[in-house]
Amino acid sequence: MKTETAPEAPAVPPAAEPRPSARALPVWANPRLGLLIVIAVLVVLFSSLTPAFLDPRLTLAPLQADISVYVVVGLAQLAVLSLGHMNMAVGRMAALSTFAMGLAYDRLGVPLLVGLLVGLAVGAGIGALAGLLIAKTGVNSFVVTLALDFGLLGLVTILYTWATGGVSFAVQPSGLSALRFDTFADYCMGEVCGPRIPLVVPIAVAAALGVGVLFRHARLGREILMTGSNTVAAELSGIPTHRRVVAAHALSGLLAALAGFLLAANNGAFSANIGESFLLPSFLAPVLGGTLLAGGAVSVLGTALGATLTQVIYKGLNLLQFSLEELKLYIGLVLLAALSLDRLRALLAERRAVSSS
Amino acid sequence: MTVVLSAEKLVKTFPGVRALDEATLTLTAGSVHALLGENGAGKSTLIKILTGVYRPDGGQLRLPGPDGELRAVQLGNPQDAQRAGIGVVHQERNLIPAFSVAENICLQHLPRRAGLLDRAALRTEARRCLDLLDLDLDPDLPVSRLSVAQLQLVEIAKALSADSTVLLLDEPTASLTNDEADRLYGIVRRLSERGHATVLVSHKLEEVFAVADTVTVLRDGRSVAEAEPLADHSREEIVDLMVGRAYQQVHLAPRTVAADVEPALVLDAVATTAGHHDVSLAVRPGEIVGLYGLVGAGRSELAKALLGLDRISSGEVRVHGRPARIRDVGDALHRYRIGYVTENRKEEGLFLDQTVARNTAVTVWRRLARLGLVRDRSERLLVNEYADRLGIRLASPDQHAGQLSGGNQQKVSLAKWLAADCDVLIIDEPTVGIDVRTKAAFHELIAGLAARGMAILLISSDLPEMVTLADRIAVMRVFAIVGELDNDHDYDRMSQSVIRFIHDGQGVVA
Repeated sequence: MKTETAPEAPAVPPAAEPRPSARALPVWANPRLGLLIVIAVLVVLFSSLTPAFLDPRLTLAPLQADISVYVVVGLAQLAVLSLGHMNMAVGRMAALSTFAMGLAYDRLGVPLLVGLLVGLAVGAGIGALAGLLIAKTGVNSFVVTLALDFGLLGLVTILYTWATGGVSFAVQPSGLSALRFDTFADYCMGEVCGPRIPLVVPIAVAAALGVGVLFRHARLGREILMTGSNTVAAELSGIPTHRRVVAAHALSGLLAALAGFLLAANNGAFSANIGESFLLPSFLAPVLGGTLLAGGAVSVLGTALGATLTQVIYKGLNLLQFSLEELKLYIGLVLLAALSLDRLRALLAERRAVSSS
Repeated sequence: MTVVLSAEKLVKTFPGVRALDEATLTLTAGSVHALLGENGAGKSTLIKILTGVYRPDGGQLRLPGPDGELRAVQLGNPQDAQRAGIGVVHQERNLIPAFSVAENICLQHLPRRAGLLDRAALRTEARRCLDLLDLDLDPDLPVSRLSVAQLQLVEIAKALSADSTVLLLDEPTASLTNDEADRLYGIVRRLSERGHATVLVSHKLEEVFAVADTVTVLRDGRSVAEAEPLADHSREEIVDLMVGRAYQQVHLAPRTVAADVEPALVLDAVATTAGHHDVSLAVRPGEIVGLYGLVGAGRSELAKALLGLDRISSGEVRVHGRPARIRDVGDALHRYRIGYVTENRKEEGLFLDQTVARNTAVTVWRRLARLGLVRDRSERLLVNEYADRLGIRLASPDQHAGQLSGGNQQKVSLAKWLAADCDVLIIDEPTVGIDVRTKAAFHELIAGLAARGMAILLISSDLPEMVTLADRIAVMRVFAIVGELDNDHDYDRMSQSVIRFIHDGQGVVA
């Protein structure tokens, strides 16, 4: 069916021409709404099974901090899913970047913000390198980033051994413990105190808003999406596709670095194991939220909800005292069920759209 | 003569275009039947119906039953077609490289014994098919070790493996050398001596005349010659039938181009890494210069080289009198105001899963953006403006481009260049796969753009379109310009001159 020469008549049979995603879907078919309902049901379920789930200090505040990390992890993957690419090195990019932050705090004694910026620059740089390799060689992003991940795995271990003699920096830059333990409830103006929201939450919210604006309104983000939608057409429309590929991967690396920083803040340490748990959640959050692996469309809100769902399940099962192994098993099953339901929902919506058109 | 396949008044419509409009094809046993037509004439659609890929919307397909009587049949899928004795060799390879020759040949019906592959039977069956072609190939050889020509022959053996009586060959020699093509056609002739009917689709008229005995010519989905003996026709007559001498010419308002105006685009003895040589052209503001040639003459390739997708190896390109070095399409657009409306709108021109708004505004985000951000409202205003100007029928600017009809899609792929305010536009096959009425509207549109001062290089293999639109027609053949004619809009005279250029690379300059 794919013709090099000019196709006679439309090469696509008419039935397949309007993509299902292009139709106006019924409200219930919106994947974001579905996620919101599933999250609400689970919260009710977990809090009725164990009241500790609603404890603001022991459960809800740490849950928000975890969600913040994994929203940013999901955004790091979303940045390249927009192209139809993958970043298999998302965890190790975070690890290398947090190493750079730790080193800056430890050896140079820089303030918290400066160290963060150093780490973000390293993340963006390594992401840009991946993007450059992909754009110039034309090798599949999966392969390039997988190889990069493997290389970085070794490099990060070597670097930590060299710099710390172990697997973690001992340094505690000032402000880190506030990010770790404080919520806005700890800051009062007179009698009025803030809500019990950890300080890391607004960082993740800002990242999500930034990425959202980028892909919805910025020329750069839109051109990345167009490149993901149809690279040949993008190039023939005057979009510098190579540079857009590099930019998307740099953004992915930058967000991975930010996620690494947030996790380091939550853990209270810059250590070599940061990013180990990033890979699977990085795909789950955007995919649950309705972002296609094919590229050309992203949903930032969906990614945030997807990350929230995974963390709610995790926290709930944890509180119900499932062992670590059981936890993994059940999370896998629940996510599989969620993804199947999502597919079922999409199929039903598609069928309804077809029968009503 | 026994009729082995009869397709009667087949109709097939796609949104916005009638690909087949009562097309008829009759095949007799032992014939080599050429199926000819320009791009968009409906050949591929017809072949897809014969091989069960598409179902016709009207007309019927009749094949002989066991008693030899013709009966109407429905081919629901490619397997049905195969069972009915219709084998096909598509333009693209359909072999599995890691499998052996024998496995590939018998892929659709692998012989089994007790549920396992019967290797002995497989080899015997493959041998039988290879013998039909007098082909001495080791059936156990993996296909990946074969040459291009051998692959082609294995494809034919595969098509014959289901006891096919009808063999469809779609551009079988496109990737073969002349010797290999000769060998292939020797085999086709032998098959016809044994009673097989062969349908040959080819753009190479020399080969068609050397091999085929009967011909059907399609134009705009209709059979304009039905199973006529090829010997009754000269090559010129066939080309005339293909391009449509009887075409009713639309007369557009005459335009005048000032002869002393500096050309907007000049190609001076340009050679490219794609293989062009000695290409000289000049397009003045307000002028439409046609670049005519058959498929494969190198016209789109020239446009792409001009836009930096291939390198210009010698010669000079000048835009508004200044030497131009165009590195990519962005460069062409932003520095030189040159736009390129691509030939394959679905693959190269449009983002089918994106909104019409984005498809139109993609070239102007740079201009619309304030601090890197694009406001939806400015984009929407722009889209509405061009939808009005070009008569694009939209439910909403947020409609996806894939939902539009072919004609509207083509207008969207043109709109993005108009929005970008280009003053040189290269338009490549603007009306392929577009019905006659929309086509006329398009011609008026293009003429209107020229009247407003745009310099247009029109690439087309639709000769009537050329004669209607162009001020001058440059003829390209094998990556070189073989002649240039002033268009006097007299179709008969122009088509004769142009066809003469195409055939022998020389002609009378009118």
